[in-house]
Parts: sequence; structure tokens; C-alpha cells
Amino acid sequence: MSDVSKLAQQNVEMDMTPMIDCVFLLMIFFVLVIDLSQKNLEDLILPRAVFQEPDDTPPENRPVINVLQNGSVVYNQKVYYDPDQHGRDFRNPNTAKPIKDLLLAIRTQGLNEKKLKLVEEDIAGKKVALIDDPILIRADKWTEWNYVGEVMKQCSMPEIAFWKVELALSEQDKETGEKNSKLGGQKQ
Amino acid sequence: MSALDDAQEEVKPDMTPMIDVVFLMIIFFICIDFKVLESKLPAYLPKDKGSSSAVVEPQEQLSVRIYVDNAGTPDYSKGGGGPGVINANTKRPYRFVMKDHRIKWEVGPKPLYKLEDVKTELTRIAKDPSSQVKDPKTGGKKLMSCVVEAYPGTFYDDVAKTADACNEAGFAEINFGGGLGPKK
Repeated sequence: MSDVSKLAQQNVEMDMTPMIDCVFLLMIFFVLVIDLSQKNLEDLILPRAVFQEPDDTPPENRPVINVLQNGSVVYNQKVYYDPDQHGRDFRNPNTAKPIKDLLLAIRTQGLNEKKLKLVEEDIAGKKVALIDDPILIRADKWTEWNYVGEVMKQCSMPEIAFWKVELALSEQDKETGEKNSKLGGQKQ
Repeated sequence: MSALDDAQEEVKPDMTPMIDVVFLMIIFFICIDFKVLESKLPAYLPKDKGSSSAVVEPQEQLSVRIYVDNAGTPDYSKGGGGPGVINANTKRPYRFVMKDHRIKWEVGPKPLYKLEDVKTELTRIAKDPSSQVKDPKTGGKKLMSCVVEAYPGTFYDDVAKTADACNEAGFAEINFGGGLGPKK
């Protein structure tokens, strides 16, 4: 082997810095993209609350129902109930039918895929079958309560029986910029 | 002197890795800022209401009613658009902010106009020994539950703030009265 080729072999020093930079950038990108895409979260401004439980580790299979400002009910980015189309008067049972059908479909699919668990409880001497997993309702701070209340009412129906309803809140009001002084709102 | 000059000349710090790291940190913190932490209010529905027709013993509870004092007007000036207009990019209606929306409360029979007063009244009730009711599960005593009843025209924000005040006062069991009709 010539002296020149020996020298060339000795001088090969790889600079790892750009590669590590790229790997870190890709990691941050994928962590954020996966985090945002899997959550089925509509772009809403939630009301700020101080004395609630942090939602740091949500259950993997928890269904998330979004209620937009105009009252539309959105699940997996699809609008299932639109007040302009289905009406606003919930005294008419047909008005809330799309919400009921959606919750029934979530329940049936969840039970078939064993993502939701059904338990039988003895209430006042009667056996009642209830879904033992939580469901999250996310609504904008300027959504009329009437629409949120109707989703909750449908959840309580015996054929649906999602009783562990959770309401989503935020630790920061994105509209006014107000933020809780303590991160991870404490429940008393 | 010449040795010192040499040493000074040789000090050429490589700024590239530091700049790389700084950029990474900037990106990281910008992205983290977009992720607003969410919390939850467990609004567990009573298992014995709606789920079955079984008759259960009624329990004493504190009623916190929310009424609209001034309905307010939706303001679209921040995000653009108008009532009923769909944003072509998001396929969702444009967002509005309510201006001059005011609510009033009735905690038990007492009318109140400020959230601070609601908090004070709820704390007073929570500390009152007569607010303790029999716990059917344990047979002992517990603080009565409170039911937040939102009347037509109230928003999720109004209910959330009231529920937060109930929690702050120490009410562990909060129920929601819903379906009181749409805005007139």
C-alpha cells in the first residue's frame, strides 16, 4: 500500500454533528405530528378552570366528542349533528337522533373491538349494564350549554349508558391569554 | 510575548454546534407553546337517573342556577367571517367571541351577580354544618351535592366557571341540569 492511500485512510473522520441535528429535528417533528393527529381534537378554545384534574395521561380508547360553537357535534373530524340541518329543538326526539346514533355506534364498535368494557351494577335492586370507560366532551367556551347538555343527556340513556362523562377544560384561555399560575390544575 | 500571541490567535471557537442547539431549542419551545395543557372535569352522570326506571330515595342538594343577565353579541372581528360563514380552509364555521355577555346566579334562593360572590356564598354553605347530609353508602355524613342548572342562552364557559367555583368551595359531587331548551 502506498503512503498516500495510508494517509487518506487515517484522515477519514466523520463529523456526526449534522446527522445528530437532523435526527433530533425529525424526532421533534414526528412526536408533535403523532401527538396532534391521533387525538381527534377540533380546534376549540376551551374554558379555563383552576380546580380541575389534569388530563396528562388520557385512556387510549377514550372516545372524544367535539361540540363546535354553532352546536355541531364532531367525532373523528366528521360532523354528525348540525343544528342548521337537524334542528335545535331537542323536545323533538328526531332532533337529537344523529347524536344518539353516533353514541350507539361508538358503543357498539367499542364493545365489538373490546375497547370498551360493560359492567353490571345493582342499582336499587335492579341490574343495570353500564359502560365503565370514560367519554370526553370537548366544547368551545362560547358553545351554548344546551348542546353540551344534550350530548350528556344522550350519554345517560339506558341503551347508551356512558356514565363516566368528562368535560374538557384548559389550563390556559387561548382567547384572553389567562393562564393558571400552577401547572397541572389542582383539585382540592 | 510571541508565545502569548500564538495562543490568542489559536482560540477560534466553532460556533456551529452551539447555533444548532440553540435553533433546536427555539423550535422545541415554540412547538411546546402551541400545546396547551388540557384538564378535565369528571361530570359523572348519576347511575340511577336515566339508566333505569328504579325509584331511589331523593337526596338533598344545593341548586346553583345560571341565568342570562345580558345575552351579548357575537364578535367576528378577530377571526374574520360572519354568522353561518364556513372557513374554506378548516371546513368549520368562523369563530366568534361574545361581547358584553353577562350572567347572574342563584345559589339556593340568593341572587348573585359576581363570580367572586358566588365563590364566597358556596364556601359559606360548604362550611355550614346544616349542609351535611347522610351518606347512603357509608351511613355517615357528607357534604350535599350541588346541581348546576344552566338556563337558555348560557355558555359552556359560564357552566365551567361555576363548576370550578363549586370545586373550589369543596363540593365534591357536582351534577349538571341540562336540556333546559335553546336560546329564545
